[in-house]
Amino acid sequence: MLKMQDISKIYRTDLIETYALRSFSLEVTAGEFVAVTGPSGSGKTTFLNVAGLLEDFDSGRYELDGTDVRALSDDARSRLRNQRIGFIFQSFNLIPDLNVQDNVDVPLRYRGLAASDRRERITSALELVGLASRARHMPAQLSGGQQQRVAIARAIAGDPAFLLADEPTGNLDSLMARQVMDLLEQINEMGTTILLVTHDPELARRAQRNVHLIDGQISDFRAYEPRPAPSGAADAAGAALA
Amino acid sequence: MNLHIRPILSALLRNRTGAILVAMQVAIALAVLVNALYIVTQRIEKMGRPTGMDVENILIVQSAGFTAHYDLKSSIQQDLAWLRSLAGVLAATPTNAIPLSGGGSSQGLTIVPGDRTKNDSFGYYEVDEQGLDALGLHLVAGRNFRHEEVEPPITLDDAGRFVGNVILSRAAAKELFADQNPLGKPVYDTLGKQATVIGIVDPAMNSWVDSEHADWVFYMPRLTSALYGGVRYIVRTRPGERDAVIRLAEAHLATSNPDRVIHFVRPMTYFKDLSYLGDRSMGIYLLTVTGLMIAVTCLGIFALATFNVATRTKQIGTRRAVGARRADVVRYFLVENGMITSAGVLAGCALALATGYYLSLEYALPRLNLYFLVGGVLVLWATGQLAAWQPARRAAAVPPSVATRTV
Repeated sequence: MLKMQDISKIYRTDLIETYALRSFSLEVTAGEFVAVTGPSGSGKTTFLNVAGLLEDFDSGRYELDGTDVRALSDDARSRLRNQRIGFIFQSFNLIPDLNVQDNVDVPLRYRGLAASDRRERITSALELVGLASRARHMPAQLSGGQQQRVAIARAIAGDPAFLLADEPTGNLDSLMARQVMDLLEQINEMGTTILLVTHDPELARRAQRNVHLIDGQISDFRAYEPRPAPSGAADAAGAALA
Repeated sequence: MNLHIRPILSALLRNRTGAILVAMQVAIALAVLVNALYIVTQRIEKMGRPTGMDVENILIVQSAGFTAHYDLKSSIQQDLAWLRSLAGVLAATPTNAIPLSGGGSSQGLTIVPGDRTKNDSFGYYEVDEQGLDALGLHLVAGRNFRHEEVEPPITLDDAGRFVGNVILSRAAAKELFADQNPLGKPVYDTLGKQATVIGIVDPAMNSWVDSEHADWVFYMPRLTSALYGGVRYIVRTRPGERDAVIRLAEAHLATSNPDRVIHFVRPMTYFKDLSYLGDRSMGIYLLTVTGLMIAVTCLGIFALATFNVATRTKQIGTRRAVGARRADVVRYFLVENGMITSAGVLAGCALALATGYYLSLEYALPRLNLYFLVGGVLVLWATGQLAAWQPARRAAAVPPSVATRTV
């Protein structure tokens, strides 16, 4: 599903070059729940940006669903993000001037779906995150946990194959964080591949696999046993670990 | 293509102060633009009216006798003989007034002697047999004056004397005779004295460009009189020779007769330009003010769009992250700006019509032509979109990775 080989990403200034990712290789199979951990500055967010096609990389090869993303135009990357990837951000990134329903609708509109189809997807997504009754609320009228659930609804409404979560519980208290993680697990169990970037080892333990980054390089792969991957995904994940 | 009108409108309504101010600016600019352009166009049409005269190639000489030895008739004969002898001169005539100059003589004419029911006043010019040629007028019916028809100047003793024949402008003939053929028919001055219409010229204009009936004019075959405050010569030259003739005339006429003084030798364009100076100044002023208003409106639109882009960087990055293409971002801001401009334009239409109505009542201007309104709407709408284009492009350059930045 996601295959990165020797990816390097360098941030350059006039004086110095900083390797955010250095010869980074990772393979994630369909249905996996992978946590990417590491200290601040270890390259977690850069990895997420590259994986989510939000940023280019300098060298290496990255295939998403068998497509070499290096060759894609900006428009094609936008289309791929829209159709295959769902994003969950640490600070929710809801559009404050749009209500819950319209926020969830944003990626669906860019996909050009018919209004009836969009309505159906929005309702399903909001029901899944338990906020169907808040469809007309503005983000400012919701708690942090509810806002993040709206963001999750926005991420999954388009039925992406692949969910990228950037510190999704970073701005939440522990109770809300647990609810959000439960929700992510539930989504994963429905077959969606999840890449979770976090610095919290406790959250990482809820993933099936942990990739630990230091200085832009993988320092450790660790598999956790408590929660099995959805059928079909576990074997692939195990193979990737091996 | 999905223009996302509903969510954009809903977002706009939640941040409406800036949008309302810009829309008001657009509305005022449209009202000013449409009415100012309409007025300017009318002024341009007025200045561009056909005069019937070869204005570019005519020069005017004005002189006046000031000694007891001054003899009007012989002075005119000498001056005309010299002027007509110049190689570049096509025709020359003495006259009582300068067409298009703002000053001249007028007289009432009727087709029934002593008719007091009509109060129409017609500009008139005393000319000789070269009068029509000197003015470059086009005779469309009848004939020109003959040398032997040119009557002597009026004096204090016979100031009420009329002439035997007149040539009318077509507009004057139409006013007097409606659709009848005026040739050979009599017209009467205010004292009831008769003259016969022998020719029609068209077009023609009298001295008062601001008059509602600037084309009501007639010509009399008579040497002009000192009673008009001096003698004026209308001299028509071949194209390109006017200025050379002016220089020659200035040098010669100033010394040829010690009993009179030359007031000026000027091109006819001088008088025409002077008469239309107010119209031209008004046009320039209105165009300048309108241009400034549009520029300020564009700046307002540009500033609002720039502000919106600057304050929504994270939102733009998020939109890009979830699938918006650069073109979608550009479209978003152009649609948003289009809504603001459209609201302003709608209000501006009402304001423009109200302003036009007020101007037509207060200043007797013609009612606003709706084509100007349509044109103004298109101009402002297009200009508004152009003003938002650069900020929209800047928005599209926001990278999607901005979405994951926490600072």
